[in-house]
Amino acid sequence: MKKINVVEKVLKANDTIAQENRRRMTVAGYLAINLMSAPGSGKTTLLEKTLPVLAPEYESVVLVGDLQTTRDAERLGDLAAEVTQINTGRGCHLEAQQVAEALNGLKLERGGFLFIENVGNMVCPAAFDLGEHLRVVLLSVPEGDDKVAKYPTLFQGADAILLTKVDLRGVLDFDMARVRDDLARINTRARLLEISSRSGDGMNQWFDWLREQHASRTAAGG
Amino acid sequence: MDGADVHEMSIVSAMMNQLMTLAEQQQATRITAVELEVGRMQLVVPEALDMAWEALREGTVAAEATLTMTEVPVAANCRKCDERFEPDVDYSFMCPRCLEADIEIVSGNDIVLKSVTFETEERTDAE
Repeated sequence: MKKINVVEKVLKANDTIAQENRRRMTVAGYLAINLMSAPGSGKTTLLEKTLPVLAPEYESVVLVGDLQTTRDAERLGDLAAEVTQINTGRGCHLEAQQVAEALNGLKLERGGFLFIENVGNMVCPAAFDLGEHLRVVLLSVPEGDDKVAKYPTLFQGADAILLTKVDLRGVLDFDMARVRDDLARINTRARLLEISSRSGDGMNQWFDWLREQHASRTAAGG
Repeated sequence: MDGADVHEMSIVSAMMNQLMTLAEQQQATRITAVELEVGRMQLVVPEALDMAWEALREGTVAAEATLTMTEVPVAANCRKCDERFEPDVDYSFMCPRCLEADIEIVSGNDIVLKSVTFETEERTDAE
């Protein structure tokens, strides 16, 4: 019997590919954004409203992860330069290798944004680096004001937190103070934006945030 | 490889790849024990990890190996005041010194294969 000490990260292969994805995006002038949330919090609708606004200034390419169907890709098909649907089958999250394979099929010539719409899930996606530059976590008003406290690790890692469907605040009991209190001990670094893709509330702040991030992140790479 | 129901399946699947590479390098005929360190930030459910392990080890040199999982607490570094502390990740990441929640996770964010115990052909012959 022989025992050897290995001490090697189990997700090292994923992390290595993620680093390479990030490098590729940086070199090509794309800011990669990993959108994470529960199913139905408005990731695809947010992109439907965001892509046309960015279009005159930036090229956007989109990768959408779902267990099944190409519905999201169909919804976004005409709005982005390229949309790739990644079906994960039974997989609850995207992994860096799937993103790398999708990137191989894209031109990525003009620079702009790469939006990665992760599989709707508040636990698993957070464990897998895809090579994104920024993590954006969505929380919709109908999900309830207790979700930050219930999924602290997801919100802890966010660079921006979008409270979506704020036009429903008048209809549903949603305590914004509770969300702010929870974030005060979980993540004070993330930019908190209150938006509604439907009514347009707060959307300009989101677009400005994207522009700022793009300018500051891609400036160094020229 | 089939898709995964939970991220524990992906974790064990990645670990199996490591074990198979290692078994080949070491010419192991049978893996008997595997030690894994799991960072608290990874939100691994031990039962789900065990289920994935039992499913994926079948038919491999690790078919009868035991898996020991040790949880690693999370350590954080405050980006505002540089305080090092251990947050209670189920509740708060707030720095006890400056009360900001702007941290870098410095430990407890990884899943690490610590050690592997195995038998080789020659060893078995000698016994």
